[in-house]
Amino acid sequence: MTEPLPLEIQKVHKKFKTGFLNLRNSVAVEDLSLSLRSNEIVGLLGPNGAGKTTTLKMVTGLIFPTAGRIRLFGEPVDRRVARARMGFLPENPYFYDYLTAEEFLHMTCGLADMPLAGRSERVARMLRKLDIWHARALPMRKFSKGMLQRAGLAAALIHDPDLVILDEPLSGLDPIGRRDFREIILELKKNGKTVLFSSHILPDVEDLCDRVAIIVKGRLREEGSLSTLLEQGTRNTDIEIACPEGRQDQLAREFPELDRGATLSGFRLGVPTDVNLQEILRRLVKLEFEILSVRPHRISLEDLFVTTAEVKSAEGKSADEKSAVETVADGKPDDGVKEDVP
Amino acid sequence: MIRPVLAVVLNTYREVVRNKILYAILFYTVLLVLTGHFFADVSLNQERRIIFDIGVGLISLFSVALCIFAGTSVIYKEIEKKTIFLIVPRSISRGQFLLGKWGGLFLAMTVVVTAMFLILLVQVKMLKIPLDVALFKGVLLVYFEVALLIALALFLSSFTSPAITAMLTIGFFVIGRLLPDLKQILFTKYQADGFRTVAEELLNVFPHFYLYVPNGHDFNGHTLSLTTDFVTWSYVGWAFLYTILMCSLILIVAAGVFRRRDLA
Repeated sequence: MTEPLPLEIQKVHKKFKTGFLNLRNSVAVEDLSLSLRSNEIVGLLGPNGAGKTTTLKMVTGLIFPTAGRIRLFGEPVDRRVARARMGFLPENPYFYDYLTAEEFLHMTCGLADMPLAGRSERVARMLRKLDIWHARALPMRKFSKGMLQRAGLAAALIHDPDLVILDEPLSGLDPIGRRDFREIILELKKNGKTVLFSSHILPDVEDLCDRVAIIVKGRLREEGSLSTLLEQGTRNTDIEIACPEGRQDQLAREFPELDRGATLSGFRLGVPTDVNLQEILRRLVKLEFEILSVRPHRISLEDLFVTTAEVKSAEGKSADEKSAVETVADGKPDDGVKEDVP
Repeated sequence: MIRPVLAVVLNTYREVVRNKILYAILFYTVLLVLTGHFFADVSLNQERRIIFDIGVGLISLFSVALCIFAGTSVIYKEIEKKTIFLIVPRSISRGQFLLGKWGGLFLAMTVVVTAMFLILLVQVKMLKIPLDVALFKGVLLVYFEVALLIALALFLSSFTSPAITAMLTIGFFVIGRLLPDLKQILFTKYQADGFRTVAEELLNVFPHFYLYVPNGHDFNGHTLSLTTDFVTWSYVGWAFLYTILMCSLILIVAAGVFRRRDLA
């Protein structure tokens, strides 16, 4: 029998009731489907108000989908047994400020139904791993933002979950903290865990993720492995050649269709994706130009993210104008959402 | 399965006992018990009655005040401060969470009531008043009252704001205490018709807080006092069973309401 997927989101919708007498519906997530396979790291991206946090709240059982289905390891998310194998770090985690970090982690051990024996060792190990051992006896109200984030991650991982969900885990961390968190996330994957995290820090996503899902206005717009998505976005290839004085006119005559420009060490020709690169290279060799480098320009995750967000946002706006539906942020804590009137 | 509940119990207990306002109210109680001491001094041969009735009465009064203060905001604070985000995604059901909250509040209130009772016992000892088993029965009834009031406050706070919860809890409590009088009014003012029957049935839905009043009426309307004709152990047993049953019912309904609530 095959092991069920760690996370399956199927055609999920989420509407919030807003306005006077709750007569307006704010659409936060629309027809969202996404699955996570075992032992992969998936990044959830999207501009502010896209529906990332709403999605993660549904996945963790804090709020319920208006329609659709969410399963953790084959079980509905509202079952305790399903959530037992999941660890969650909310965005800007909030803590009981009257507890010390040690007390808090002991409490999370209890919430995870861990037996009393071995709890102290596990707590000590997590405090050391997250580098807050020195502050274990301090009330958490005295913690810095980075220390709180570390305590939150320790709590999320205390019961060694198979699926780890992190909402903006790298925000508020200094460079050392970000490095530590990145290492922990990679270590989780090495240990066979599955990680889903949302982030605005795209270089980190690019470094860590096997796959990304981009949500804009509550809809999943792009999803796939990073290499595939970025491959699709290859723009052009730059050929740098040594170009003695007087031969630039020859280049202009021979390659009028190419973008040209001087560089420090020679001359650059930009070859678009629809032009045969091999043919250009063959002709350059034939014309006895010295080729210094050939460098394909790939789209970065940031380019892909901005393009997707802008294009889909513009599409959304025109659709909204057509249907004369007012778009208002509803004041829900984390997500801006579309509103419609029933 | 019990461990997650115990974790919430312990955390809620810590939250309440580390809240300085509780200590202030406890201090205030001590002062008022000492005031009872003063009244006992100036009364003529009524020290025992004054100390017993005022002492247990004040314990009941302050316990009720503390329950309303702590119980009506305990769920709201978890949601408002988003600390519930660290609890609900774990292997604990929402019903277990509410049960843990009830357990933690009751444990904290047990400590507070016991502390106040010990202060009262010291006072009784200092005045060389002979102890009476009625005093213990009276305080047991306060524990039951507190248990039911916490369950009621939690139920109301599972779907309303603290202000509304506090108002409704006080309303339910007052009606619950005055139930025999309200029923008496129904009997004397209205004929045995449909309205009276419906009104009586409605009143029966309210938690019977009058059962826990040491100086009020028993089931049959007899006036009781800690120093004269107080309740029997069998009465205390029935009150205990009623409390267990009502707390269970209220918490089950609260869990049903809270189960599908969006915690955004």
